[in-house]
Amino acid sequence: MSNTATLTTDSKQTWGGGKSPLSISYGKLMMWIFLLSDAFTFSSLLVAYGFVRFTFTSSLPNAIVKPFSHLSHSFTEEMQKAGMFVTERWPSPELVFNHFPFLHGLHLPLMFVSLMTFILIGSSVTMVLAVEAGHRMAKKEVERYMIWTIIGGAAFLGCQAWEWTNLIMDGASLQSNPFGPTAFAALFFIVTGFHGTHVLSGVILNIIIYINVVNDTYEKRGHYEMVEKVGLYWHFVDLVWVFVFTFFYLI
Amino acid sequence: MEHTEHLEHTESPANMKKQIIQTFLILTFLTVVDIVLYFILLSSHSMFKNILFIFLGLVKAFYIVSVFMHMKFERKFLVRIIVFPMLFICFLIWLALTEADFTFGLR
Repeated sequence: MSNTATLTTDSKQTWGGGKSPLSISYGKLMMWIFLLSDAFTFSSLLVAYGFVRFTFTSSLPNAIVKPFSHLSHSFTEEMQKAGMFVTERWPSPELVFNHFPFLHGLHLPLMFVSLMTFILIGSSVTMVLAVEAGHRMAKKEVERYMIWTIIGGAAFLGCQAWEWTNLIMDGASLQSNPFGPTAFAALFFIVTGFHGTHVLSGVILNIIIYINVVNDTYEKRGHYEMVEKVGLYWHFVDLVWVFVFTFFYLI
Repeated sequence: MEHTEHLEHTESPANMKKQIIQTFLILTFLTVVDIVLYFILLSSHSMFKNILFIFLGLVKAFYIVSVFMHMKFERKFLVRIIVFPMLFICFLIWLALTEADFTFGLR
């Protein structure tokens, strides 16, 4: 690309003033810097999780419950008696996150959280499609994709609320945890809560942008760059979820 | 490339939509791989398993940042501004895990 060539061959032309040396508007650059700082915040939370996780031994291999088998009402107590949920050992995520809406009583490890992951990836794709439509000044398409993005974000938040409710009903909170070490539940609620707050603010921003698109604000301005900026934030939220998913559910 | 309009940005390639769909398929595929591997390796607790999942996470992160966040088409200098500070995070991870190892020994 000719832009990169200019940077390496003639730095005076690039940094001499009169134009943006990074070929990017100040708003987008600031969004990148903000996301960098936010990445630090999330990494410190995830590193804190890693620290605590490393100070505990892993749970015993689960040979009791098979996928798709039926669970009894006192599943948590049974697991505690079987030595799967003890305070000295980090619980196995498959035994903790095994519920699915409308399929109560079935052991479906990680199925619900996978659904949540797909929802978030999907809404990320519709967001980038909205950005792409914005480049072509196609207002109707931007509107349509923004709506899908908002729906995806709201669906994700709904899923998270359902999962939180389930865990809280089981007795998990910041101070107590029926599945094992207290730190497990505390870290889970803090990190997914912090991520959920980001999703919530992302959905609110998306709604504001959507209203602006409908009101022709960007049509009059001549470009849809605001969609790009919020898009950057939205993709970052998806990016963080990739790591939350990896550390809390898979490992 | 001379920019005279007030908005400056690096251009997207013409086949952007195709790239988006490709990236979407890659991300979906990797997530499915994650889940399948999780069930295959269900009963094992090894460092290999952790590294595998972290690696898959990093690959997904690469695709999200480079295509969805448009990083692939930005100037190299901007890429460096964002990527180099990540080394601090690597340092923090090393620091925390070393410390956690000692704490584990004290238990």
